[in-house]
Amino acid sequence: MNPRVILHYLSLIITGTGLAMLIPFFFSLTESGESTGAFLISIGITLGIGVPVFLLTPSRERNLLTREAITLVAGSWIAASVFGALPYFFSGALPSFIDAFFEAVSGFTTTGATVFTSIETQSQSILLWRSMTQWLGGMGIIMLFVALFPILGIGSAHLIQAEMPGSQYGEKLTARIRDTAKALWLIYIGMTIAQYILLRFAGLPPFDAITITFSTIPIGGFTATDLSIAAYNNLWVEIIVIFFMIMAGVNFGLYYFLFFKRQSSRLFKSSEFRLYIAILFFSGTIISFNLLDQMGFSIGEALRYGAFQVASIGTTTGFVTTDFDAWPAFSKGVLLILMVIGGCAGSTAGALKVIRIIALAKYIHRRLLMVFKPNTVIPIKVDGVALPESVISRIISFALLYAILAALGFMAMSAIGLEPITALSSVIAAIGNVGPGFGMVGALENYAFIPPLGKGVLIFLMVAGRLEIFTLLVLFMPSFWRWR
Amino acid sequence: MYIIIGGGGIIGSHIASLLSEEGHEVLVIEQSKEALGKIRQRADVKTIQGNSATPKILKQAEAERADLMLAVTNNDETNMITCFMAKELGASTTAARIRNPDFSTYFVAGGKSPLSPRRIIRPRKLGIDVFINPEMTAAQEIMVILSSFYSTPMENFAGGMVQIREFSVTDKELIGQSITSVTKNLPHPAVVVALARGGEVLPIKDETVIQEEDRIYLAAEKEYMNELGKLLSPPQRPAKKVVILGGDRIGHLTAEGLTRRGVRVKLIESDETRAGELASSLDNVEIINGSGTSRDLLTEMGISSADAYVATTINDELNILSALLAKKLGVERSMVVINNTGYVPLAEAMGLHVAALPTLLAADEIARFVLHGGAIATALLEGEKLEAVEFIASSKALISGKNISEAGLPAGATAIAVVRGSEVFLPPQDTVIQPGDHVIVATPIAGIHHVERVFK
Repeated sequence: MNPRVILHYLSLIITGTGLAMLIPFFFSLTESGESTGAFLISIGITLGIGVPVFLLTPSRERNLLTREAITLVAGSWIAASVFGALPYFFSGALPSFIDAFFEAVSGFTTTGATVFTSIETQSQSILLWRSMTQWLGGMGIIMLFVALFPILGIGSAHLIQAEMPGSQYGEKLTARIRDTAKALWLIYIGMTIAQYILLRFAGLPPFDAITITFSTIPIGGFTATDLSIAAYNNLWVEIIVIFFMIMAGVNFGLYYFLFFKRQSSRLFKSSEFRLYIAILFFSGTIISFNLLDQMGFSIGEALRYGAFQVASIGTTTGFVTTDFDAWPAFSKGVLLILMVIGGCAGSTAGALKVIRIIALAKYIHRRLLMVFKPNTVIPIKVDGVALPESVISRIISFALLYAILAALGFMAMSAIGLEPITALSSVIAAIGNVGPGFGMVGALENYAFIPPLGKGVLIFLMVAGRLEIFTLLVLFMPSFWRWR
Repeated sequence: MYIIIGGGGIIGSHIASLLSEEGHEVLVIEQSKEALGKIRQRADVKTIQGNSATPKILKQAEAERADLMLAVTNNDETNMITCFMAKELGASTTAARIRNPDFSTYFVAGGKSPLSPRRIIRPRKLGIDVFINPEMTAAQEIMVILSSFYSTPMENFAGGMVQIREFSVTDKELIGQSITSVTKNLPHPAVVVALARGGEVLPIKDETVIQEEDRIYLAAEKEYMNELGKLLSPPQRPAKKVVILGGDRIGHLTAEGLTRRGVRVKLIESDETRAGELASSLDNVEIINGSGTSRDLLTEMGISSADAYVATTINDELNILSALLAKKLGVERSMVVINNTGYVPLAEAMGLHVAALPTLLAADEIARFVLHGGAIATALLEGEKLEAVEFIASSKALISGKNISEAGLPAGATAIAVVRGSEVFLPPQDTVIQPGDHVIVATPIAGIHHVERVFK
């Protein structure tokens, strides 16, 4: 492992983060200017570190080793979050650095859990930056850099693998990984523009439309209002947001075939896509019935709130149109399960992912069959293709690790003194990159009250969830760093 | 005819001896010295040792004057290249054995449809006039047997208007009767083409008496076939649950085809890797990894409730052993695929049904497509002892305008039917042959040239 090579690419990511801050910086010039100084300092520090390191380290054209790729990917997410936290810190919006770091991690990992107690009092440039972090993180930081910079071309397949392991079940979309990254980013940008235009038609002012769009497409959850989407009380806005949340939770590879190859059958034949839609539809229906029955809602209200919350939680976005914490226990139970399932692999959504649920269910089915048919060979097929046993074993260990991390996190949060519902849901919401949970971290609450140690635990879980655990966890293994 | 055969494996050597028996000049090209030695012992053919796909060897074999180039090695690619090279060197007709469906499903018969999409490969462009796939044919025969009432496939003539089918005599009342009294008592006209007893074909004489365990080849018009068949041997139920042994090409294709027809199939494969591949490519087939000769495995998988068992591995001994075990464990229809024709009497003596002989099928296919210039349909009967051929009588033919009994057919040959337009004369008796009539004749292989001359 060559630390200078890693530093070289890492400094590129840091420089990129600094350059991205120029957008809220220029925006801050148009408002009262209270955050202009903070952005100036942040950009100065970020570029001041990023640019010299980039220039002083050698840029050797060679394949990154697997270990280097993993270190670089995990390092990029942490570095982007550390430097991305600076504007919050210097502007005084979040005077404690751990709070600022939490907000930045929550943004880049598209979790959408906030420590701001009051959002609308913040300057708009800070809120723009907050939404931008989600948009930059949504498609993957590395994926963005692979698309933008040819220098990462060599060995970038390694990097993408480390950043988005879940997207590798299908085949490579194009011959060159860089073309894949470009195509995926084009789809991502296209969806962003489409949603922005529709929201403007629905009557939202440009600033609100852009912050919501920057939160929807990456499946983030930040809004520029205290009451999230409920603040607008606009049915059209809710319908548009529901549609784009569900769209963004679908494997982007399928869109590639739809838009670039004109193969719509691939989308509708994908069993993951079909189950994903079925889960959302089924959950939406039973929650609406439950609300109709227990909450005294009208049919329209039950459908409106039920559908929105199911789409928001089921895709791990975390937008809120009503205080679902006050809903009946059954509805909350369904939402909690949705938080664990998440969206499709290869999308911007988080959590376990529907494809893994399919593989796990088939694996269990096979285990049961093998009890009474010991000699029968039963492959685990998804869309007619048998998954290699190595992939199945990876999925099982991923699901196990997910449960173990959630359990350990739950223990840690309980030890800090949170009541069980809050402790459990905060952990599930963090590792699944959802955002809001239940109880004291519920729909209309925030994470500000959690002690620094607890925030540290949640930060770890958010990054682990975003990088699908393995990439982050191996960094803590001594043998990863040892030569032999 | 001068015929070059590329590949001297089971199929190649079998066809070589068959063709030389028919009186053709045959040359076999084969890489292995031992295989060539065996062929020279078995048949009166010339041999060259070497790779049939190389122009050097083909030149040496005088491919330029070949009437027929048969490429039947185990390797599809070699066969294709062989045909291509031979055609370039001047061979007039070529035939390749193509087993991999990844090739053959993209082939359309050359020149058939000029409008067919570009994506389809025209084998003629590769110098291949005919391609044969004995394993595919074997699988199709097994499927026909399993899903129909009778245990043997039928042979079609005159566009399906006349059929020939083999029946085992099971009706006790028939035993002891002469052939004439049997045909006389049938409600519809029929012709006994051959009578097989213990692997021998008996000459058909009116007074021949039917004995137990005889097998009758009966020809009849299509509409009456099922009805007549029921009188000779009681129909069997089409199989609904089938166990297949062996996941090689025949087993794979059979399992695939049967499932498509709604039959429930379990397939036993001994190789773990191959079992995994089969499991991922075959939907709705239960793949069991284990040995076909393990009593426990067969019992455990519920063999006793299966309707039929088909052993399809490339190992004849294993097939026979396993099929016997299955029969012992209660499977009524236990069938074997046999490659070495020498085993056929053995298997039949043990009460197993020989479902398919890929070697014979290959010979049959070649005969059907390539041989007998004038014949438009052929079928080998009773292990190649007899061949049924369909000719169109030409105006210059010896037989034209004559009664069929005056035609001078060779000894052992029988006229089965004459088809004129939609009219079927069966038995032909005193029909006067007109040019353009389809005449179906059964003849011993050696007499085939004689028959051909009569019709040309």
